[in-house]
Amino acid sequence: MSTTAEHGAVVAAAGTRHRSWLQPLVYIASPLGFMVAFFAVPLGVLVVTAFQHASLYSSESGFTLDNFRTLVTDPIYRDVALTTVFIATMAMAIQLVIALPLSYALAFRAGRLELPLLLALVLIDELNPIVRIYSYRMLLGREGVVNDVLLALGVVDRPLDWLLFSKFAVIVVLATSWVNYTVLPLYASMKAIEPVLLEAAQDVGAGWLWRWRSVILPLVVPGLLVSLVLVYIPLFTDFATPGLVGGPSSYMLGNTLADTMLAVGDWGLGSALALAMLAAMGVLSALSFYLTRLRQSQ
Amino acid sequence: MRFGEAQLRSRGRGPARERGREVTRMGNPTREPGRGEIVLEGLTKRFADRLAVDAIDLHVAGGEFFSLLGPSGCGKTTTLRMIAGFEEPSAGRILLDGRDVTYVSPVKRDVNLVFQSYALFPHMTAYENVAFGLRIRRLPRAEIDQRVREALEVVRMTEYAQQRPAQLSGGQQQRVAVARALVMRPAAILLDEPLGALDLKLRKEMQVELRRIHRETGMTFVYVTHDQEEAMTMSDRIAVMNRGRIEQVGSPRDLYEHPATPFVAGFVGETNRLRLRPTGTRGTTLVADYGDDGVVLVAAPAVPGANGSLGLLVRPEKMSVCRAPGEADSWLRGTIREVVYRGELTRFIVDVVTGDTVVVDELNDGCTLLPERGGQVTVSWPATSAVPAEPGTQG
Repeated sequence: MSTTAEHGAVVAAAGTRHRSWLQPLVYIASPLGFMVAFFAVPLGVLVVTAFQHASLYSSESGFTLDNFRTLVTDPIYRDVALTTVFIATMAMAIQLVIALPLSYALAFRAGRLELPLLLALVLIDELNPIVRIYSYRMLLGREGVVNDVLLALGVVDRPLDWLLFSKFAVIVVLATSWVNYTVLPLYASMKAIEPVLLEAAQDVGAGWLWRWRSVILPLVVPGLLVSLVLVYIPLFTDFATPGLVGGPSSYMLGNTLADTMLAVGDWGLGSALALAMLAAMGVLSALSFYLTRLRQSQ
Repeated sequence: MRFGEAQLRSRGRGPARERGREVTRMGNPTREPGRGEIVLEGLTKRFADRLAVDAIDLHVAGGEFFSLLGPSGCGKTTTLRMIAGFEEPSAGRILLDGRDVTYVSPVKRDVNLVFQSYALFPHMTAYENVAFGLRIRRLPRAEIDQRVREALEVVRMTEYAQQRPAQLSGGQQQRVAVARALVMRPAAILLDEPLGALDLKLRKEMQVELRRIHRETGMTFVYVTHDQEEAMTMSDRIAVMNRGRIEQVGSPRDLYEHPATPFVAGFVGETNRLRLRPTGTRGTTLVADYGDDGVVLVAAPAVPGANGSLGLLVRPEKMSVCRAPGEADSWLRGTIREVVYRGELTRFIVDVVTGDTVVVDELNDGCTLLPERGGQVTVSWPATSAVPAEPGTQG
């Protein structure tokens, strides 16, 4: 009996030695294959196209920096980029103003309602975005609910026309569409704070402002950074929302990209723009992760 | 925390090595003697489905080391949290140095709580944790620094000032938590089972440390524990709680020697319980006569129950199987069921003629006779060291 056991052990050891390099390869083969086929290859095509004069009508092969030159020199791209930063930042700020108290309430104050509220929050996101955006049109339009109410109350003489097809509309819709993704990481990191810490802070005389400033906020920074990566960065690339509720003043990078690619058909320029945006986002994400790591290692 | 504790061990238990070093006293020139008096009047806490604290009255003198002792769920922690301000009483009042603080927010209340789980701020160093409350008070930087250093010195954590809680062991975190309360110079410090998470050796060390800190600071300590030995070792006075009520308040000696209720007798120290049937009286003394098998004397004011039976409580160390019973002693014949050698004493478990089984602790000094299992012995004890108990109740 002992010999069979020994034999088994020897075989197992030999097997382990054999598999030691093979096994991880097997595990990552399918995700790796997937990434190569659907991410790396298209990315390669994008990079190659960005350095070529390639459009719907002509395709000259040969390396060129003209596309990037256009991005840098044509002021329209700078203006659109600034508009995009403004809209995305405003939307993010509004979301944080909503999400911080909301996630605090969910984590510490909701009690028995915690799970139902969390489910409700997730369910809101299940609503079809097209339906949501059209409901905003009904709400904010010239003859929409908001204007009707304001007129009826006599707050305004004539309907406000900046409510819809404006920067305002884009910011409001973006903020409300993404707010879940801001709340959830914040909620998770609030949940990780032991409630007794808040009592300990109270015990040494910390009112709510001190508790937020010195205990809650420092401890939810990781969640805050996740929120930024998850929400702030995608806000830069959105083109559906400005397309549906925005106007000329809220033309964002995503719209420029879509128009360059689909309407103008200048694949080279579009690819260059996409690549530039990707690089900017990469830098932002890396920065967030770096900051998170920095805090954890402290 | 556990991880941190392992770290400490490999480092050789830092602060303990410093014991005996001269430490400056927690200088507090403004502290008046007797400050920190706490009075509870009819304090009651009703939760949705149960009465946690049932109209308790309590008086803690300034500067006292006072313990609330009881089994889990007896209401001791709820009482402490009401004193700290984290639970609002359903009825009753809390007076702190004569001032009604029943509804004062914990933010403003002049007491500080040392939490069972330490509750240190994980993103702050030990120093910052201790300094936090003083920063909120907006004291001058130099004063904050001086007071924090003093507090860290009192708990012997000076050399760990710049460490974060995760880098500290459980015992060290506990010290920082104590310093965080001390530095505020409150009227009273409240401790909620502060040693519950520590291992036995560290517990014993911290018990001594807390006593020393109490002595050096002269502050009122209200200490919650379920460990009767801990309460006995550390406290000036103890309130034994059971089911939301206070069973008895007294010094450790009072509680042990003169338990007011069977519950106290059972909870504080070990006790034997005998069920007797008194057969007559001798003056004011009840007598249960078993003829050749024994006689038990029970001092007044014991009163037998409705069925004529009477409960009697006797500590194991008051009983003897070696002594010959004297005139003022009670004694009973019995059969030894078990003999357990314990080093400094031998424990005999004896079936006595009343039908009860008693535990007798005999010091291993003068007792030459060593009865064996199955042997016949006479168990005796001074009649005055027995406490009557109502039969049929717990204890």
